[in-house]
Amino acid sequence: MKKLFALLCTLPALAGCMSSVNTTEPLQPSASPQAVVDKRVITDPGLDNAAQVTGVYSSTGPQGFLKVELRVQNQTHARQAFSYRFAWMDQNGMTIDLPTATAIPVTLEGRETTALVAMAPTPLAKDFRVTFFPAK
Amino acid sequence: MRKLLVSLFPAACAVWLAGCGTDAHYVNASGNQVVTTVGEVNIQDFANAADAMTRSLIDREINTGDLRSGAPGDKALLAISLIKNETGEQFDTDLLVKKIRVALLQTGKVYATTTGGFGGPEDPLAAANQSNSRRPDYTLSGKIIESRTQSGNLRQSAFVFQLSLTSAANGIAVWEDEKTIVKQGTRPAVGF
Repeated sequence: MKKLFALLCTLPALAGCMSSVNTTEPLQPSASPQAVVDKRVITDPGLDNAAQVTGVYSSTGPQGFLKVELRVQNQTHARQAFSYRFAWMDQNGMTIDLPTATAIPVTLEGRETTALVAMAPTPLAKDFRVTFFPAK
Repeated sequence: MRKLLVSLFPAACAVWLAGCGTDAHYVNASGNQVVTTVGEVNIQDFANAADAMTRSLIDREINTGDLRSGAPGDKALLAISLIKNETGEQFDTDLLVKKIRVALLQTGKVYATTTGGFGGPEDPLAAANQSNSRRPDYTLSGKIIESRTQSGNLRQSAFVFQLSLTSAANGIAVWEDEKTIVKQGTRPAVGF
């Protein structure tokens, strides 16, 4: 009886932590972006679970600016917060200093996918790196 | 002995409280260690909004080659118009605008003027010595709005950054965007 009572007390608390989403999209998407083969360095598996990169895509516009999109999914069933920051490199691999560089906060519901989009600050930017931070 | 202990008590408390403090230290301005508060626009919020606005401007106007210059063969010239702070807080809107200007100059596709703008020239000496002035092709204007709400102990502040890029020749807004930053926090049950 005591165990049943404890279970009944715990269930609503657990349900409060769960917040996952349902999604709908075309079975055959008409547009297919150019995928980028990426390299990942994972030092925090928990953060990787909260913000797992499922695809990296890029395109270059008429004026030569690189546009990058990362599809990120929260692999858990609970709401997760994290932040990310893009860094851009020129053709020599040197980092381009940016006045707007900042860690951008994101919150994802359980199993939710989002797109993190960034534009190169100059046509000279040829490569990029994305750093993920755990929520404070 | 008792008297000695009583007399030392305030000093001991002061030492103990001082021990709770954190030594002043530097943090990375673009990292995630900067302080976040609910009722104010923090430095990272300006950077976040400037980043979103710059990205949008590059994506929709600069990368497409849609920005036109009045001087053939030259880059488009941008002037800063009125950026209103409609929040309850006092801050210099250059915390937002300067970041956008620097980022736009970095694209290598536009110029910005420091001798013409709303509220007078940013560089009065350059304005006084200017031999021939070029009229700006575009003006950047905008507004920062705040909306606060509270539910129980939970406080929420929403800061809305609105910007417009207007063609100076005909007054048509060629680009507009809005970035909303929402922050929540609980009011402490005890304390200030």
